[in-house]
Amino acid sequence: MNSLLEIRDLHVHFRTRDGLVRAVEGARLSIDRGRTLGIVGESGSGKSVTALTVMGLTRFANAIISGEIEFDGTDLVKLPDNQMRRVRGRRIAMIFQDPLSSLHPLYKVGWQIVEAIQAHENVSRGVARKRAIEALREVGFPNPERRIDSYPHELSGGMRQRVMIAMALTLKPDVLIADEPTTALDVTVQAQILDLIRKLKDEYNTAVIMITHDLGVIAELADEVAVMYAGRVMERTSRETLFTDPELPYTWGLMRSIPRLDAPRPGRLDSIPGLPPSLIRLPSGCPFHPRCSYVMDVCLTTEPKLEESKPGHLVACHLPAEERQKTGRDLQAQYTS
Amino acid sequence: MNGRTDQLRRRQARLGAGSSRVVWVLLLAALALTVGGCGKKSSSTLKGKKGGTITVLTAADVDYIDPGETYYAFGYEIVYTTQRPLYGYKADSLVVVPDLAASEPQVTDGGLTVTVKLKKGVKFSPPVNREVTSKDVKYAIERGFAASVINGYAGAYFSVIKGAPATPPKTPQPISGIETPDDHTIVFKLSRPSGALIGALTMPLTAPVPEEYAKKYDDLASSTYGMHQVATGPYMIANNAAGSISPGYQPSKLIKLVRNPNWSSKTDYRPAFADQIRFEEGYADATIATRKILSGTGDVNGDFAPPPAQLKSILANPVQKKRLFFTPVSGTRDVALNSTKPPFNNLHVRQAVAYVLDRNAMRLTRGGAVDGKIATHFIDPSFAGAGFEAAGGYAFDPFPSKNHAGDVAKAKAEMKLAGYKTGMYTGPPVTMVAGNAGAAPNTARVVINNLGKIGIKVTPSFLSASAMYTEFCNVPKKEPAVCPNVGWLQDFKDAQTLLDVTFNGKDILQAGNSNWGQLNDPKINAAIDAAEKLTDKKQRAAAWGKIDDMITLTAVEIPWIWEDYQTIFSANVNPARQLWNQGGPDLSWMSKK
Amino acid sequence: MASPTHPNEAPAPRPKRPGGGILGALAGPAGTVWGLASSSTFRYIVRRVLWGVFLLFVVSAITFIIFYELPNADPAQIRAGRHATPGMIKEIRHNLRLDRPFYVQYGYYMDRLVLHFDLGTSFYSEASVRSQIVSRLPVTFSLTVGAVVIWLLIGIPVGVISAIKRRSLLDRATMGASLVAISAPVYWLGLVVLFLFANDIGLLKLFGGAGSYVPFSQDPGTWLNSLILPWLVLAAAFTAFYARMARANLIEVMSEDYIRTARAKGLSERRVIFRHGLRAALTPLVTMAGMDIGGLLGGAVLTETVFNIPGVGRYAYDSIVNSDLPAIQGTVLFGAFFIITANIVVDIFYAFLDPRVRY
Repeated sequence: MNSLLEIRDLHVHFRTRDGLVRAVEGARLSIDRGRTLGIVGESGSGKSVTALTVMGLTRFANAIISGEIEFDGTDLVKLPDNQMRRVRGRRIAMIFQDPLSSLHPLYKVGWQIVEAIQAHENVSRGVARKRAIEALREVGFPNPERRIDSYPHELSGGMRQRVMIAMALTLKPDVLIADEPTTALDVTVQAQILDLIRKLKDEYNTAVIMITHDLGVIAELADEVAVMYAGRVMERTSRETLFTDPELPYTWGLMRSIPRLDAPRPGRLDSIPGLPPSLIRLPSGCPFHPRCSYVMDVCLTTEPKLEESKPGHLVACHLPAEERQKTGRDLQAQYTS
Repeated sequence: MNGRTDQLRRRQARLGAGSSRVVWVLLLAALALTVGGCGKKSSSTLKGKKGGTITVLTAADVDYIDPGETYYAFGYEIVYTTQRPLYGYKADSLVVVPDLAASEPQVTDGGLTVTVKLKKGVKFSPPVNREVTSKDVKYAIERGFAASVINGYAGAYFSVIKGAPATPPKTPQPISGIETPDDHTIVFKLSRPSGALIGALTMPLTAPVPEEYAKKYDDLASSTYGMHQVATGPYMIANNAAGSISPGYQPSKLIKLVRNPNWSSKTDYRPAFADQIRFEEGYADATIATRKILSGTGDVNGDFAPPPAQLKSILANPVQKKRLFFTPVSGTRDVALNSTKPPFNNLHVRQAVAYVLDRNAMRLTRGGAVDGKIATHFIDPSFAGAGFEAAGGYAFDPFPSKNHAGDVAKAKAEMKLAGYKTGMYTGPPVTMVAGNAGAAPNTARVVINNLGKIGIKVTPSFLSASAMYTEFCNVPKKEPAVCPNVGWLQDFKDAQTLLDVTFNGKDILQAGNSNWGQLNDPKINAAIDAAEKLTDKKQRAAAWGKIDDMITLTAVEIPWIWEDYQTIFSANVNPARQLWNQGGPDLSWMSKK
Repeated sequence: MASPTHPNEAPAPRPKRPGGGILGALAGPAGTVWGLASSSTFRYIVRRVLWGVFLLFVVSAITFIIFYELPNADPAQIRAGRHATPGMIKEIRHNLRLDRPFYVQYGYYMDRLVLHFDLGTSFYSEASVRSQIVSRLPVTFSLTVGAVVIWLLIGIPVGVISAIKRRSLLDRATMGASLVAISAPVYWLGLVVLFLFANDIGLLKLFGGAGSYVPFSQDPGTWLNSLILPWLVLAAAFTAFYARMARANLIEVMSEDYIRTARAKGLSERRVIFRHGLRAALTPLVTMAGMDIGGLLGGAVLTETVFNIPGVGRYAYDSIVNSDLPAIQGTVLFGAFFIITANIVVDIFYAFLDPRVRY
């Protein structure tokens, strides 16, 4: 079965003055047409760098990229720049976290959308402008003919993110990568944006990679979920399985740290002890071992491989599978009761 | 004429701002020994090629373009080519010759009447065009007294004429003591005999001005005749048909002199070789301007002197050396001690200062020996025969020291005579106001250092030259104890112009005072009064020579240098004689090669 | 599945200029900001111009006071010359109105200035100050315009290229050279340039030297030749400064999020740099250039002095040395006028360039 986009053994390292930053270490991901993949992790987990690498936006002088990113038959890692540009924005589009800083402050939003269109299609400005208006209408602007000439600072946060979505989707890309698109917005707007994404994704059968640290977003939107830590994919499964049956101590920690309205108020929020590791001086063996409550000796020396634990559920952990499944289920039961 | 040296030097001081000046200071020591002025005079001949344009490079503009107002070197360079006063000086000498006048002045009535006959056939330039009459000379002098014109020396030398106004009238008024019995005779009736008046007949104020043409300009609150002036000399400032000199005078940029079509060489002793003379103004950097002259893109320096560093290299170059000329500026630079302020009200303290000053070091701040000779009294060597020898010449040196470097021992001895037992001053610090540009502050610092050797501490202020003069040193009420950067130059070759205004107790003014020592010695005052009346040249020289010595011994002012003016000519011109009272070249005698 | 709701949040508040005040409140919602017909822009301009006029008054008053208070040469004594009788000095003082109280003198001066645009007569020469300044303006103008063209056409591209090729040999060379150019004192640089390249006193006789300036109307060829060295010297420090600013701004802008978005849209790097990067990076330089031009129009004193160019700057220097109050006042006012005007023009222009600061 050929996925639309498959990432195999991706390594992205950056040479810096302080040392070699291992941002992504052997990531393994895939997504099919029309499906939504959620990538969850803390800052520094490598989720954004992975996304940017898919877009070819990490091709700096000091970057070392290896592995394969197979998109519709082509390996994007080896694709020359000029060809990558034709993919970028046209077949794979990306929206970012802060729409105020992500839109050019000195150009009107209409101009920016038109530019996106004209970068890939040979149409006149008039035609592109009409399409831009339609795109704005689709994302929910009631008066797109007027709004098209607004500047980003004249719009609210939610409207700006809609503009970014419009700009990303107007060319009907195959994949939409959304890097924390709602983090900068407040909760009600958040819901609207997620609804919008879902609607458009259904309409155009777009594959969506949703990058977030918020499990709530995952619960809303994702079909499959990948948990990344220290540049590695540590767990990969469907949304339901992740919430009912997670098999990774890190994931357990994530679940535990979500406050719940329906549970009795705890004295204190549970958090995962310790800090995310330095990507320059990674811990030996399993990168999570310094913070893991279930750490064993082998965890300090050997890196766990991402393997199938049960059908459709990949885990990278040294804990024996039965133990993991039991513990996971118990914990989740505790929490969902 | 005072402070003109400082004005002259003020121009120089402004030049060489920035790095030039640093170079000066560095080269001072090196420069010290060498040289000695060439003291050579240019050869003034009546032979030369006619035609061509002479370019004079200057740093600043004239003080006044009006010939009746100008009182400054640069202004004189123009006036003496465009105007003809009653008398001038023979080339390269101190001999007075008639210019507009036809003959020597006749002094009668025991010196109370001076009669001058004018040449015939001298005409004004366009647009006036008519022949000059004695009435024009009368008017020229009368307008000098008016508030709308304000001539700087009219009061000093011409107020002895009967009827000369005591306070300036708003517009030119007739003076009864100037009579014009016919068109070519002018008679001065004086209230007392005055040798100075006769000497003053060489000044620009006596150059004729046509009243019917000039009156409308002179009747304004501030006369604009200067911008519409006419000429009687071989050259004129280029003007338009209406008489305005705007074509030839762009303030601070350019002054253009062209031939005066109405001038006739038959009535004049000037050769007037060149067809045009251009003054290019605004060369703030003396090094650049000197280099231009050396490279031939300028012909001669106007109101600045080549910096010492360049003087050194010119003197080291045998070809260039021939084009460098030194002329005395005819005056002294002095350190003034306010005799009304302690401790300088004590003669012995003043004499101690006269002993302790290191004149050599002071001269070094101005470039060393190339700048001139160390002065020992006030009448300078250019007055040979007119008072210099009578004052004792080089030999009169009442405060001698080895190499003029100052004698601390003798100074201390004087201090003891003044009552300071140890020979060191024990009182509070004294005030000083000095200049802040060019060599002035450096000279002042030498003086401060020297005063320290006899225990006198100084609290100095450094101001611009004009502020120093007009706000402090020239105002007796505000004058500090020491004014180290003063100086005085001649107005014409008469020792009275050096000594009267500067040392006569009668001439102490409440503002604009030039008697900086505030000397008011009855014996000296009487001697000056007597000497002013003498009309015989030899008697005047003898009398003023004695006065010079008396003044020097009071040490209210200590002269320290008889400066030379340095003129550098380009290779494209034949060097001309120097103006008798300036040191700058007389342009009517310059010719292009 | 819920349908998307309409964006019913209130629009983000527009950033307001400080000091909006009554006029700001009256301005109302500015729907269209284009065109001076817009009332709020017009009000803004009017307000700025009035403030500018007030500033000019203040500047003139301060100059007057400074001249009065600091120990300064007495113009009446200078004018009277040596040998002056007390009567003469008094007469001159009266003519020049120096015997009246300071506020009377100031009042007379402002009266002449405001009602007749008459800047008075110079104490030193008999020329009218206004005619002197006006006759020198074209000169200063020539000097300024040439220098501006050079520093914009050379400085900005150099800075941009250095930013693009960061840390390359070219980048290090240009930034090093720019440090030298900024540090070199103008007067010294002028002398060096003259001694090397002036066609009268230089080693290589290439361009017009000091004092070679003639008006354009008289001889365009010589005019141009005489200005090349002064332009280079005057522009040197500015070129270096603008290169460094352009480089720094562009480097900073290129790390902004919207550049990442532009790249993510699939635009060519060239377009990203020039349409997105430069547009944002060079906008602050416009403000700077405007202010610099305003300042230079008041006269580039050092350059005009060393090259003997008869401009306003030279006139200002001469008038200070001569303690010529009306001329000093005139040049200061002119300089202030240009700076204030440049300030206003730049602010208005900036509002066109950066929509975030509009009214």
